[in-house]
Order: sequence, then structure tokens, then C-alpha cells
Amino acid sequence: MKAFTLLFFISLPLFAGMNHGGMIMDDSGMIMNHNPDVLPKDCPKISKDVDITIHAGHQYTKGFAGKMFTYDKRDWQVPGCARVNVTFINEDDIRHQFMIHGLPGYMYPKGMFTIEIYGKGQKTASFIVPSRDYTYYIHCEVSQHTEKGMKAQLKVGEGSGDLDSILGLTAALTPDIYPINNTQITWVSLLISFVVGVVFILYLGNILRIKLS
Amino acid sequence: MSHKRFYYRLIPVVFLLIALAIWQQADFFQRAAGIHLPKGVTPEFKQVLKIDKPCVDLHPEWRLAQNIDGVKMAESRLCEPDNPYDIAAFVLGMNNISMPTLMSTHIAEDALIKSDDLDGDGDPDIIHIKLEVLELNGATPDSPSVFPQYEIAPGIMPGMWAFSPKLRGMSVKNFRSQKPNAILRAPSPVIRVEQGDKVYITLENTHYFPHTIHFHGVDHAFKTSKGGDNDGVPVTGEKAVMPGKTRTYELQPRHAGTMLYHCHVQTDKHLMMGLVGMFVVEENRPDNWVQTFNVGAGHVRYSSAAIKEKYQREYDLHYQSIDKNLAKTIQQSNDTREISKQMHRVYNMSESNENYFLLNGHSFPYTLRDALIIAKPDENIKLRVANTQHSSIAVHIHGHKATITDYDGVEQNPMAQITRDVFHLAAAQRLDLNLQTTNDGLHSYGEGVWLFHDHVETAVANDGMSPGGNIALMVYENMLTEMGLPELRSDALDDLFSNRYYAKKQVLWGKKEAGTFAPNTLQLILFGLLLGIIVGLIFFIGRGLMRAD
Ligand SMILES: [Cu+2]
Ligand SMILES: [Cu+2]
Repeated sequence: MKAFTLLFFISLPLFAGMNHGGMIMDDSGMIMNHNPDVLPKDCPKISKDVDITIHAGHQYTKGFAGKMFTYDKRDWQVPGCARVNVTFINEDDIRHQFMIHGLPGYMYPKGMFTIEIYGKGQKTASFIVPSRDYTYYIHCEVSQHTEKGMKAQLKVGEGSGDLDSILGLTAALTPDIYPINNTQITWVSLLISFVVGVVFILYLGNILRIKLS
Repeated sequence: MSHKRFYYRLIPVVFLLIALAIWQQADFFQRAAGIHLPKGVTPEFKQVLKIDKPCVDLHPEWRLAQNIDGVKMAESRLCEPDNPYDIAAFVLGMNNISMPTLMSTHIAEDALIKSDDLDGDGDPDIIHIKLEVLELNGATPDSPSVFPQYEIAPGIMPGMWAFSPKLRGMSVKNFRSQKPNAILRAPSPVIRVEQGDKVYITLENTHYFPHTIHFHGVDHAFKTSKGGDNDGVPVTGEKAVMPGKTRTYELQPRHAGTMLYHCHVQTDKHLMMGLVGMFVVEENRPDNWVQTFNVGAGHVRYSSAAIKEKYQREYDLHYQSIDKNLAKTIQQSNDTREISKQMHRVYNMSESNENYFLLNGHSFPYTLRDALIIAKPDENIKLRVANTQHSSIAVHIHGHKATITDYDGVEQNPMAQITRDVFHLAAAQRLDLNLQTTNDGLHSYGEGVWLFHDHVETAVANDGMSPGGNIALMVYENMLTEMGLPELRSDALDDLFSNRYYAKKQVLWGKKEAGTFAPNTLQLILFGLLLGIIVGLIFFIGRGLMRAD
């Protein structure tokens, strides 16, 4: 009993909370599937320790009109078998998440690693990625946060392409349609280029016909 | 011959280019967003920006309690209090007021005659009332706008009608103004008489359509003493009162309570146009002079003897709605045949909507000027609530639970009276409420600026733009400014009093809306060139083939 208690506290040196099956919780947030040491099957050892700091909040949508929440950086790249130590900083007074999907299910239940912070604050936790080249999906899934900008990607190795609708990086899969602000210049330039096209082909034709005859 | 083959060989090239053009066609009118969305635009507004003052404060002196010709009336701390000279005239009758008082009103001298103390209890018992029919925001052949310009809320001027006490003189504020004077307004005035009075109400039809008056819930015989129509229904009584004609109705109500009166010609339309008002029969008391008209409803500055026994204040709350399409029918022509056709035959009430919701003739934010309930702690306040909309209302007063004392002008057994916080009134129903301001956690939660409004949410917007509609405020005196406005956050009303807001041109919570993309000029030029080449090539082939023959 004593040994168990000791083990329990040793395993959580950083977090003054409780661990329920991969979940570390306290009154400021929650970390799920924190993994600083278990290696994926395909990794003989940790290739590199990568520290990344991610800020989340409304303020980072500056420059992205029409969006509401996002991360300060939305595109990350690490080598295969890297240990990623994420410091997640929530700058808003509401809840945000750093949630990554697609990790191996045999060591990350449901394939997820998550840091969630209930208000302004920060937490650090780690996960180890497998060796294959793959692009992992990161988002905050508080209702409509992903859709309104809080979405990012983590490329391991070369990655497997870019995800859709990442602010400043990729277009939406189902983009909004906006009207075009046509002016007289639109129609004049269309007309002029049309006339130029006609004249050009007739001029070319004349040269050709002279050659033919 | 070989020339011809050369031209034939060019035809597939044309098709190829057409395919290319279709594939490359410029997005002329709309384009899907790529990585970046449009930068956004501030919406343009063609009308000149107009921002009203929340309170114009024309007659601060009218707010004081005063004694005019012996009529002692309560103070009225509203931004726009009722004209105290009108009140004196409505209490005494035009035949019993002084010349200066008469000159300070716009009421005709024969509009209200009070005489004959039949029961010898110190108040007049024969009351002659004359009503006219007025139009607000109607068409005019002299301007593309409407006349007289009565705004129910900033920039909103739907066509409306109302009964009014018989007026004299100019209908506008002054000879330069397009705005009606204070008496010409919605809703039709509240009429107050004493139980047992012999009341003669003459409809003087000053309007261009036939109308009548029907007294709803007010004790009246089916026919007048001379056998004339007394119920106002053209099907069961006489024909409607034609334009330029008059008819007198007779009442001697035996039962007191909050009732209604309204036109019964093409009732669906004429009632919604505004020819409906509250009719209050006050209990008989000695020396009980009642304020015969409460123009614009709202605060009753001179309550009856029976009300003063139990209540510190009294308010008439007239809820009303407007279908903008019905309102439009009187704004598009000055040919009465055409207006009649548009209103009575083309417009179809069974397909109607309610777009504007008024309390005492105004929609929020103008309700702040004259439809506040002003209160102090530990008072009993009499509210008479009438619903003249065709939809139901569910009135809620923040921070309070009031007691329903009367339904449709009939007192509820005091043991069975209900205290609640939502008051449901179907069309034409009335409720009398006792609003107690005792801070006991039940009747009141204390002093404050408390909203009160219909909780049917369509009704708290002006044609769908919120906040608007019949929202008003219950304000405790300690939070009321000198000017009769509630103490609010300094920027609370900034947007709402501009004509931009209710025209739906004001961006909410920001400055920009998404807007448009700029045209892609390079793509346009390439596309134009391609089209030119196709047309040129077709011409070249056609001409070549013809010449080769
Ligand atoms: Cu979030
Ligand atoms: Cu009528």
C-alpha cells in the first residue's frame, strides 16, 4: 500500500492532480495520455526531444478576418520517433484544447493526446510519435472552435500532405462563396482584351493567307 | 481545294479553344474563397446618417405636478409627459376650462362637453364626446415621402390610423414641420367615463373611408334611444358612417372595468390600421371627475377616485401590431379608389405578418420617451393592459411578479387572484394588474431599471431588427434622470437612435462585414483574349471557306 502510494506520487511529479487511466486532472484543466517514456513499437529509441509552445486564443485571429479562435502557429514538423513536449498556453478566459488525433491506439487510447485548459493558463505534457511520415490533425473541439479557426497540423517526417482549412495555409474543402465587386474596369478590360484577341487572330490569318497564296 | 482542307483542319482547334475558355472561364460574379477570405467592408449607406437624441426635452415644465383650473394632477417624470393643459381640459370638459387653458390645447371646443350632475354627487353625468379619424404616414401627392411623418421608432413610418379627440387648428407641430402635433398620434386614445354616466359619443368621419365605432365589453344597448345603430356593425345595424358624415352612439355603462372600442368596418384591416382603443369605465364615486382622454395611453396623470383609494399610480398599456404590407397600402396612391382596392381586395389578411410591435404608439427605443413605468418602493401600481394585436402577447416585467385583479373588465374573486410573471393576453383581451413594488423577493426584487416586454420574441424587434418592438422599461425614481430617462451605461443607446440601425445597415459587434472579392484582372484579360481569338478564328475560317469556293 505504501509502495503504491509512493509510486502514484512519483509518477506525477509535475501535476498536483489525479490520474484516472491516462487522465491527469485538476481544477485548471486536464491532460490525456501524457506519455514521456513509452516508445512506439517501430521506434528503438527517442530520436529527438522537440519542445513546442502553442498559444491559443481569440487574439491570434488578427489578420484572419471572419474567424474567431485560433493558435498562434498552425503548422509543425518533427522527425519520426521524436518526443514532443507541448507547452499549451491558453490566453482566453474560456476553455481551449490542444487535441491531436491519429496516434497509435495501442498506446494512446482512441489515438488521442489532449491538453485542455479551462481558462487563462498553461500546461506542459509530452507524447512520442511513431516513425512513419504522416500529417496529424490538431484542433480544439469546443463547439465550433475548429470550424472558426482553431485547427493545426503536425507533420512527422515528410508528413502526408496538408490538411484542409488551416488558417493562412490551406483553403477550405467547402469554401464560402463571395460576390465579386465588378466595376467598369472589369468590363472595359474584358472588352479590350477581346478586341485584341480578334485583331491578333485576323492579323495572323492575313500573314498566313499571303503565304498560302 | 488544298486551301479548303487547311480551313477544315482549323475547326477542331476552335472547339479546343472553346473547351479551354469554358475551363478557364472567369468567375465574373462570385468566387470561392481560397486561403484568405475577403478583407471586409464597411457597409455603405445612401441616406444621410441621422442620430436622434434619446430625449428632446421640449417641455420640462410639463413634468411637474400642477394645478390647472383647479385640476390637481400628478407629476409625470417621463421625457415626453402629457400636456397638463390637455389633462385639465379632459378632466373638466372643454365647456369648463379657462381661455388660457383652451388656447394651450389643440382640442376643438365641442370635442368634450361635461354637464348635469344628475345624481347630485358632485361630478358631471352627461358626457358628450366627439371623435375624428386621423391618418399618420399616409400618401401625399406633393412629396415622395409620407405625411404627417409619425415615427414609431427611428426612421420607421408605417401608414396608420387612429381615432382622436376632435381637434382644431394645424395638425403639424408648426407650419414648417412635417411632424404631427402631440395629439395626432397612435394609439387611439384611452376613453374614460364614470359608471352610470350618460355618454354620447359622436363619430365625425373626417377620413376618406367609411368607419363605425363598436364598443367591446362596454355596457350599451343594441339601438340608440331613437332606434339608430348603436353596435357599430354594418351587417346588423346601419350602413357605415360615410366620409363627411357623423353618427352618435349612446352608452350608460352599469359595469366598471377595462374595455375596448374599435371600428367595425372591414374590421380585420381597420382594426390593425389602428382604429382601436381602450375604453375604461371607472367605478362611481362622489365628486369623481375622470380624465376622459388619455392621449397616447401610458401614464394616467389624473386617476379616478376609486383608483386613488388603492393605488399610487396608474398606467394604460396598449399593445398593438402592424403588418408592413397593410401599412403600405395607404402610402402608394392618393386615389381613394386605388387605396380601397389595395387595402380591401388586393391585400389579404389571411396571408399577413406582424412586423412592427408598439406599446402606446411607439416601438423601442422611442418607448423610452413616453412608455416607461415609473415607480418607487412599496407602492401599488395599477396597470391596465390591452392586447389589440391579432397574435397573443405574453408580457413579462423583469424583477417583479404582479397580481391579476381583473380579466376583461371583470374583477377576479380576491381569494382566487393569481400572482405571476408572464401575463398572457389573446387578441382583444384585457388584464388589470396590481404591480406591487414591495422588495420581498416575490413581488419585487428591489429598485432598478427593469425591462418589460412581450415574451413572444417576434415582438421585441422592429421588422426583425432587435432590440425594438414593445420593449419598455420599469424605472425606479432613484434611477431616473432629470430628463425622464433611465440611468444607463453611457454608450447603451448610441446605435439605437440612428436611422442606420433599424435600416439594418449597422454592423453589430464590429465595423466590417465580409463583403466582396476584387475581380482578378489577369484572369479577365486572358479570358477576353481567348474569346477574341475564338471569334477571330471562326471569322477567319468562315471567310477562308467562302473564298475557297
Ligand atoms: Cu477552443
Ligand atoms: Cu373603419
